[in-house]
Amino acid sequence: MTAVEDTAATAPTSTLRVRGPRAVLAFAIACAMCLLGLTGSAAAASPSRASPASVSPASASPATASTRSAAGKTLRVAMDSSGVDTLNPFVSYFNGSLDLFGAIYPTLTVIEKNGKPGPYLATSWSLSKDHRTWTFKIRPGLKWSDGKPLTAADAAWTFHLIMTNDVAATANGTLVSHFESVSAPNPTTLVITTNQPQADLTYVSVPIYGIPIVPEHIWKSHVKGLKSYQNDSFPVVGYGPWTLTGYKTDQYATLDANKSFVFGAPKYGHLIERLYKTSDSAVAALRSGQLDYISGVNATEFTSLRRTSGVHTVQAAGNGWNGLELNPGARTRGGKPIGTGNPALKDPVLRRAIALSIDKKTLVGKVLDGYGTVGQGYLPPAWSQWVWKPPPGQEQKYDPHKANQLLDKAGYRRGRGGIRVDPKNGKPLVLRLGIHSDESEDAAFAPYIAGWLGDIGIKVVIHPMSMSALNSDLGKGDWDMLIDAWTSGPDPTYMLGIQSCTTLPNEQGTGGNTDSFFCDPRYEKLFGQQQSQFDPEQRARIVGKMQKILYDADVDIMFYNKRQKIATSSKVTGMNTGTPDAQGFYPAQSSFWSYLDAAPTAQRHYSAGGIGLWFGIAAAVIVLGAGAAIIRHRAGVDDRE
Amino acid sequence: MSNPVITTERAAEVEARAPKRRRSPGMPWARYLAGKLAAAVVSFAVTLVIGFVLFNMMPSDPVRTMTRGRPVSESQLAHLRVQLGLDKPLWLRFLDFVNDTLHGHLGYSWEYQRSVASLTLSHIGPTLLLMGTSFAISVVIGLWLGQRSGWRAGSVFDRITSSTSLTLWSVPTFWLGMILLMVCSVGIGPIHGFLPAGGMSDPSLPQTGFTHYVDVARHLVLPALTMVLVTYAQYVTIMRSSIIEEKGSPYLLTARAKGLRDAHVRRGHALPNAMLPSVTMIFMHLGMLISGAVTVEAVYSWPGLGDLTYEALKIPDLPLLQGTFIVFSASVIIMNLLADLAYRFLDPRVRAQ
Repeated sequence: MTAVEDTAATAPTSTLRVRGPRAVLAFAIACAMCLLGLTGSAAAASPSRASPASVSPASASPATASTRSAAGKTLRVAMDSSGVDTLNPFVSYFNGSLDLFGAIYPTLTVIEKNGKPGPYLATSWSLSKDHRTWTFKIRPGLKWSDGKPLTAADAAWTFHLIMTNDVAATANGTLVSHFESVSAPNPTTLVITTNQPQADLTYVSVPIYGIPIVPEHIWKSHVKGLKSYQNDSFPVVGYGPWTLTGYKTDQYATLDANKSFVFGAPKYGHLIERLYKTSDSAVAALRSGQLDYISGVNATEFTSLRRTSGVHTVQAAGNGWNGLELNPGARTRGGKPIGTGNPALKDPVLRRAIALSIDKKTLVGKVLDGYGTVGQGYLPPAWSQWVWKPPPGQEQKYDPHKANQLLDKAGYRRGRGGIRVDPKNGKPLVLRLGIHSDESEDAAFAPYIAGWLGDIGIKVVIHPMSMSALNSDLGKGDWDMLIDAWTSGPDPTYMLGIQSCTTLPNEQGTGGNTDSFFCDPRYEKLFGQQQSQFDPEQRARIVGKMQKILYDADVDIMFYNKRQKIATSSKVTGMNTGTPDAQGFYPAQSSFWSYLDAAPTAQRHYSAGGIGLWFGIAAAVIVLGAGAAIIRHRAGVDDRE
Repeated sequence: MSNPVITTERAAEVEARAPKRRRSPGMPWARYLAGKLAAAVVSFAVTLVIGFVLFNMMPSDPVRTMTRGRPVSESQLAHLRVQLGLDKPLWLRFLDFVNDTLHGHLGYSWEYQRSVASLTLSHIGPTLLLMGTSFAISVVIGLWLGQRSGWRAGSVFDRITSSTSLTLWSVPTFWLGMILLMVCSVGIGPIHGFLPAGGMSDPSLPQTGFTHYVDVARHLVLPALTMVLVTYAQYVTIMRSSIIEEKGSPYLLTARAKGLRDAHVRRGHALPNAMLPSVTMIFMHLGMLISGAVTVEAVYSWPGLGDLTYEALKIPDLPLLQGTFIVFSASVIIMNLLADLAYRFLDPRVRAQ
């Protein structure tokens, strides 16, 4: 105790001496730090233009922050929120990565602005009489970014690797599953032979959705350790509108324009794709001028951005759907029932009644703020060649009265609390509704669905789950109803395939990748036909019939097709491709074309002067003043003591 | 006769014991250290088991989730399950996990196709920068305000400090982050945005040198400010209550009787004794610094470990989750161990035990 007191008694003197100055200094540094923030942004936000009178609303706002270095030459876009899993295209799944691969690696064909495949590396192609051998003429004279020639051999090597190497097949193996052989008899000819006619071959290697072609001379030395190869030697050797010059995990990717790109050089010299973990922060960045482009803004933010000066908003055809899946009786390929799904849902009458009880228009209005269309066909409006609509008079419109009539007629009588009873087992109709716990739209749907189904005498128990838990339950058949959402690429084969009987689980109840345990022999037959139908119109007709079967089965009840909501800085032009329809809605947009066509609206010159300079001076004055105060304080310490 | 003998023997015993304690104070210290180390090792082992069981029992289908939306066939899915080791029974996976951990291997991320160690290393810097900065500021501000408030409990200063800090403590972090983002980055009314909306640096600026440091500092302001505002109340509250408890102690009366000024009594006498609970909390929080702040890192797109863990949880990327869990657990356990050891220096009562 004495020792403590002694020490303590001596301590205050020194503490007293320095306390005042410390506080002053700390305060001064804090002020200076704040001003540092202001300085940085203000400096960037002070464009000095030749004609101040011509300042547009966008440039007049402080939002021009951090465009200094861009000087109209760097396009800054928000990366897909899934981010980049890996830069190795053979093992990558995430959309952020796929967008990058579309920008830096070539493909055989490209999805043109009309949504159909057109020439890219391949200038033309022909098909043998037996519909099994495709011959692609490869564009001559192209060079990889390191100057080595880009030939048909690179394409053949890439496809062959995916066909023969399990690791290389991780991401895109399915796309070459019907390939029998691939060869490059000369630098400008690529020959692909399939083991059966394959109508979708021109979709196999397209930017973003298909197989990117990699330079053989770079990748052949990495085949042995392909799984762990990170592909992060910058600049990454490739060929596309852009060259990847840098990437920081979970932060951003930097790219430079390929001035000799075959479809013309990008108008911007550089491209930065930044990852924002929440849509809110990306929108904040756009509003404040730190970002030029976001695709996939949510409805609330989009409404707000429509009223924001300096921001241009556009709606384009969406490539996905949101809907409700009903478990029609989970079973294995051999027909053995699995899972804990409510058996009542095997009854098509009950499923139809549920479909009629859902007011899709209200969902579009309330959940989407009107930024979408009522869902009908299984394939989304982005790919117009596959769009199907029910014939007039056969639409399933919101009609709870008819739904109740159907159920009454089928013997589903109302029991205690107005809940109907399954006539087959006498149990009340209580259905579980699985929703994604991290999806705000799902949370918005759930009470509506519970209410509407309640109106027809079905009790709904809402089960919020992580996507992974939901997927796990789905595969095992442990579900009654699920909120689901899908996006689709330009070729419908995969989307149609997950409704095929062949994707049901094996007899052990494992494996398979069915989406909803749907299985119909008529659909199965048509699925095979569309794969080998080479006339696009005929194929579309078959695909339409398949969608009709799905529509009538009421296993996947489409709520809506969201429109793609895009917000662009008004300093950028040309990002929206295609011609808008009468309502002003654009066709589906692709980052490949949007980033390539984007152009700065005006050149500006920025300086670090103006407000920033004044903030800097103010910071210096505060620090100097604090220093002077400390010196004066110390000079008087002895007198005060 | 016997009594004196016994007395002598007892005295000898007492003598033998007493000097021993005085002569070799290192023995209890070593025993104390060994005990604490053993407890730490046991804690670590238990957390490893709990972590593994929790993550692996979680209902999930990583393969379907990871490949969602991609054209993958059933055979590809099956191959992927084998590749990821998901076809093995749980006990075998647990043995693999223990074996890897004991050999210092944190595993290989399914999502990023990279070693968990390299991923953790690349995210630990941003986390320590954000959490370290906000932690230091929170501690300094919290303790300073807490001791001032407690010393003058009930005063206007105390009321304002306590209510403000507790209000901010109660505010949802996500909401506060969004508000600060709107005000400081976008700007509201006459206030123009002046700070970056997210990320850790501006890729269009040089990524080295002074400009880069200033740029990182600017990006750090909002996330650090959010963290400080929602955490400093803990230190205010603990420090305030400790000071109030010490205020009635007789030794302070002695100090005042010696003629010391009030501020001397507070800083020199009350404060050192009131620091102990705060020290415990500081060490506890030091251990948790590494786990980052998921919400703040998400709002400001800060590329830290908290965000990495959240991403891993979505799939779930089990090796990454387990790896980060090991790092977080080890960090907390080590800091608790250090806190125990620091206590022996700070508090004589602990030494006397």
